[in-house]
Amino acid sequence: MTSGAPVYLDYAATTPVDARVAARMGECLTRDGQFGNPSSDHDYGSAAHEAVEAARAQVAAAVGAAAPDIVWTSGATEANNLAIFGVANYYRPLGMHIVTARTEHKAVLDPCRELERRGWRVTYLKPAATGVIDPEQIAAALEADTVLVSVMHVNNEIGVIQDIHAIARLCAAHGIARLHVDAAQSVGKCPLEFGASGIDLMSLSAHKAYGPKGVGALAVARSRGVQLQPLQFGGGQERNLRSGTVATHQVVGMGAAFELAAASWAAETERLAPLREKLWRGLEALGGALRNGAAERSVPHLLNVSFVGVEGESLLAAVRPYIAVSTGSACSSAVRESSYVLKSLGRDERLAESSLRFSLGRFSTETDIDAAVAAVAQALIRLRRIAGDPCITVN
Amino acid sequence: MHYSELTWRRFSSAAAAGALDGANVRRGAAGSIAGGTWVQFDVRLGGGPPTAPIAAVRFRAFGCPHVIAVADWVAEASVGRPAVPQLPESIQALQERFAVPVEKLGRLLILEDAWIAAMSSPYT
Repeated sequence: MTSGAPVYLDYAATTPVDARVAARMGECLTRDGQFGNPSSDHDYGSAAHEAVEAARAQVAAAVGAAAPDIVWTSGATEANNLAIFGVANYYRPLGMHIVTARTEHKAVLDPCRELERRGWRVTYLKPAATGVIDPEQIAAALEADTVLVSVMHVNNEIGVIQDIHAIARLCAAHGIARLHVDAAQSVGKCPLEFGASGIDLMSLSAHKAYGPKGVGALAVARSRGVQLQPLQFGGGQERNLRSGTVATHQVVGMGAAFELAAASWAAETERLAPLREKLWRGLEALGGALRNGAAERSVPHLLNVSFVGVEGESLLAAVRPYIAVSTGSACSSAVRESSYVLKSLGRDERLAESSLRFSLGRFSTETDIDAAVAAVAQALIRLRRIAGDPCITVN
Repeated sequence: MHYSELTWRRFSSAAAAGALDGANVRRGAAGSIAGGTWVQFDVRLGGGPPTAPIAAVRFRAFGCPHVIAVADWVAEASVGRPAVPQLPESIQALQERFAVPVEKLGRLLILEDAWIAAMSSPYT
């Protein structure tokens, strides 16, 4: 964006493509690059195939998986769908019960609801007010015919990290239940070793980690015999799990982005965590600011805050000229729907609606934080004055 | 959410936001913060008989930008008009003037209720 544009603090929604990633992608598009169909049996195809497999190895290395575990998809939403429907359909003879959480992304909740319509039973766990799912809740929810547990690693709204290792142990002990983890928000922020963790399936997204939109992957623990029923049929690509010509430039971009993310996450964490805390201290000082989710259990780049005494849509509109952030409400039609994640944590309708999610990233600076605090301060003072709320103290 | 230029300008300035004190002020409110929309009008009538024109209006609002913008416009447009329970324009006309989505019509009705309540309230 040009100078004078709002400060971008919505890296959890998406990230700009790293220039090095974009350059590598460009090499796969033109005549002098790896433009061939990776399934074609000639030199052009072989060159593209090599690029695709190199990218597969990069993604696998970044998440601690084996290269054959990685199945390319169009993004995390497709990966979640493939995991949930794929496991449910394949293991249907063993059972028709699924366990998940109310705070999952809609790309998990909506497939689960669809399976309910088709006859499966789904248990939706309610997290604590901190956003944390106690593994004991999982243990209590498991039934003899539970075939799938789907729990996200890092929550996309509040940044809370779940204890995936403990949940994986429970699923392993259960014997039948497969564990799927939506890790779309994890790469580059909070490493999760796929192979060592006992996860059966893990959804990944490129564009949350400075890669391109339109590509993701599902890691499938083939070594542990995890099986899926495919959702689409055609050319039998991706070992019959995801038919369709592999988009070489997209997966090469994802591979390059994940390699860079794996190399930089430690330094990024060290840099972003203090910035995030500076942001929180600035917002807290404004009065009537409530932090959502357990601070000690969250990724370093994300902060979700509810503001007392202001209406959510007006708050977002008031800060919009200055900062780009997400709100705790989704725009479905013209009337906003308050965050089901925050309501699951016990926030009331108004506080769920009047929340802002600030997510920092590679280009965030102290100046950006100062600008964000100033923008929110100005909005709160004005909107609270308009509302005339005598209960709110604004410093 | 996209807002019309008029909505954005009125929301951004909200010059008529506030409250009125003193004599000849009628106050009325409707809606609730818990429900997501609350509007209050303070209306000062000119001296003289009860039919005297409106001298000043201020509003308070907890609501979306459309509610704040319309309340601000109503407050300004009412000055000099007779103190009657009708808004300066119909709800439909306000909806069109501010390009308020039809899903938000209920919020404008709350605003109208606040105006009617103010007009129905006794003088202070």
